Amino acid sequence: MKLTINEVAQCLDVPLSTVERWIRQGRIPVGKSGGECVFQKPILEVWAKKHNLSFMLPDKKVKKIQEDKPVNLFNAMAFGGIYYGIKGNSVSEALESAVKHIAFLDQDGQETLLGKLLEREEMASTGIGRGIAIPHPRTPLDKTMEEPAIITCFLEHPVDYQAVDGLTVFVMFILLSQSVKVHLHLLSRLAFCVRDASFVDFLKGFPNHEKLLEKVENLENAL
Amino acid sequence: MKPWRYPARWALFKMDDRLLMMFIGAIVGTCSGFAAAVLNHSLLFLLEWLSQWRQHWWAFILPAIGAALSSLFLEKVVKEGAGHGVPEVIYSVSRYGGLIRLRSTFSRLISSCLTIGSGGSAGPEAPVVMSGSAIGSNIARFFSLNDRQRVTLVGCGAAGAISSIFNAPIAGIVFTVEVILGEWTALNIIPIAIAAVAGTEISRALQGNQIVFSHKVFTIDMGDILASIGVAVFTAAASILLTHGLRSMHKVSGKVRAPMWIRAAIGGSMVGIIGFFLPVVLGEGYHSVHTMIEGNFSPGLAFVALACFAKILATSMTLGWGGSGGIFAPCLVIGSLVGLTYHRTLVMLWPYADWVNEGCFALLGMAGLISGMLQAPLTGIFLIVEITGGYAVILPLIIVSAISATLCHYIEPSSFYLKELVDRGHLLRPGTDARVLSDLNIKELLETDCVCVSQNMSLRDFVKIVETSRRNYFPVENDATGEFVGMLHLDDIRPYLFNRMLYDAVLVGQIMNPHVETVLPDEDLTKVLRKMDSQRLFSMPVVVNNRFVGMISKATLLDKYRKELMVQTTF
Repeated sequence: MKLTINEVAQCLDVPLSTVERWIRQGRIPVGKSGGECVFQKPILEVWAKKHNLSFMLPDKKVKKIQEDKPVNLFNAMAFGGIYYGIKGNSVSEALESAVKHIAFLDQDGQETLLGKLLEREEMASTGIGRGIAIPHPRTPLDKTMEEPAIITCFLEHPVDYQAVDGLTVFVMFILLSQSVKVHLHLLSRLAFCVRDASFVDFLKGFPNHEKLLEKVENLENAL
Repeated sequence: MKPWRYPARWALFKMDDRLLMMFIGAIVGTCSGFAAAVLNHSLLFLLEWLSQWRQHWWAFILPAIGAALSSLFLEKVVKEGAGHGVPEVIYSVSRYGGLIRLRSTFSRLISSCLTIGSGGSAGPEAPVVMSGSAIGSNIARFFSLNDRQRVTLVGCGAAGAISSIFNAPIAGIVFTVEVILGEWTALNIIPIAIAAVAGTEISRALQGNQIVFSHKVFTIDMGDILASIGVAVFTAAASILLTHGLRSMHKVSGKVRAPMWIRAAIGGSMVGIIGFFLPVVLGEGYHSVHTMIEGNFSPGLAFVALACFAKILATSMTLGWGGSGGIFAPCLVIGSLVGLTYHRTLVMLWPYADWVNEGCFALLGMAGLISGMLQAPLTGIFLIVEITGGYAVILPLIIVSAISATLCHYIEPSSFYLKELVDRGHLLRPGTDARVLSDLNIKELLETDCVCVSQNMSLRDFVKIVETSRRNYFPVENDATGEFVGMLHLDDIRPYLFNRMLYDAVLVGQIMNPHVETVLPDEDLTKVLRKMDSQRLFSMPVVVNNRFVGMISKATLLDKYRKELMVQTTF
């Protein structure tokens, strides 16, 4: 297999000018065809091994994570669904009834998720204040999820969530994502919205499906 | 494109370039051996031709004319610096891959022939080494070989020249490896050996298989070996005296406000005056060395001791005042004079002890002076063993060479050949830090993934850039002109980062560091690193014409430095 000087520079992870100098100084095995420098891959590999250099062909199939939909709150909330009147008088009861609404998980999945959510709550409350909680598993779910989901659950009765500001919680955003990176991304966006006092007041009025999504979309666009 | 000019593409040499190097090495050795023989013959001719006027009172101006002509030739005709040329060869080998100008193939031959032939006290070896190296370099360039091959051929040229002039192939190989190349690898030793053989063959074909200095068998016993330690001490002293003499003469002549050729003429006439009373100091002195080894040197102890100092003075005069030639042959003469003086003193003190012939001590003195002066003990040992053909002297020879080299190294850490290079920081032996740094250049280390920011950007906009960037350093540019105005490090914005009130109030231009040390792309890496170390910097911006082109950092340097070292040191 023949390599060009550019490919050799990439394989050895050195600048082009270094390879050119090595050729001039006769430090690297090279053949010439016409005016071009041509390298033989097997010879170069032997040479690199002798000099203890790492020689790797550059990955041609660079994985491009192409998302059909951009990762944002609007898509995640639309996918996760919005539910009203979740029953329960304690954190675990509220979570238990909330998890049952998650349509894309089967029963086993719902139970594992509940376990994980409760485990996270035991460590520290996810009540971030102003009556809002964002329960989430500590690690991404085992199930391969195609896209992240935020399940919005308005509670029937406010629940004492041991939140940082001591207020009872009236709405939970259950945050499920396929990777930690996406999780943090969504979390920062959600935190941005929740910091806005008018948005919290708006939530307190239990807005309907369309209105909530519209509001979130507007907020995100302003971000 | 003529195919014969690209031997690297011939089917035979495509297999292995070592075959090619052996083939061209033989050609180079032959050519440089021929150059050495030519110089030797023309020297003899000139000395003989001029000898008819030697006895006249005005003969002292002969060396003056010779030195002046050689200086004029070097300065005006070929436009090369004075001196013997070995440091130039060593520097070219380490810095420019052995590139030497074509005119160097003959320039030193002619100038040294004029200096020495007219009676100046200098040696023809260094000029012949220069010329042989230039032949090797230009043959390599003719065949478009790469730097590594060219360096090997320069070594071949030097080896061929020394081998030819002394009829001593091993001395040629050892001198090349020890002094010129400074490295010993399987790749370059074979072509050099072949060149040495070729050079010796040429010299034998043209001059007959005469060993320059005749072969003599000595029987050496314990007393002589002990006495050789004394030889070492005296030769070391003589080497240091000669080194200092050369240097002080160089300084004195530098103060004379006169053209180079007049200075050379002044030095030459002084040598002529000394030579008028002590003819032994004139010329390269092979003949007197010859008689001393034979034990036929008739003058008494006082004369020999005087001649010893006179030769040191004459050599300093010739070379220090701008004559052209090397130090090798004068070293041999001074060495044998020192050996002779020492031997005669010993005989005078203990006349009944059973001393070996005085020729043996002359040999030991020669080895001692070469080891001390050139700090090349192996060259000294092998040269003496080879030119006398006698293995018997090897034990005292090793002792004298080792002790003399050590003593001289203690007082004068760098040898005569390397002194100038070390002073200028130009000694770049293979595999050393200085060599790796001189091969790398800033363009190869440049990191171009920095995000440039504008001087008038608000902190709010800057924080957004920080969010997406990967580097801690941000070069700041002037919007209008694009000129580099300063650097902004992440640390600089830390005090403002958590105070959102300031996000719109603070501009990048206010918090950046406007007084940053910058680097030019063609700056010497050693200097850049010294700058970094002295200011405890980890990275520096590279700026050309007030425009930022990239950063260099120690992290990248380590990566590239290591790769370079691995490529350079493993064969």
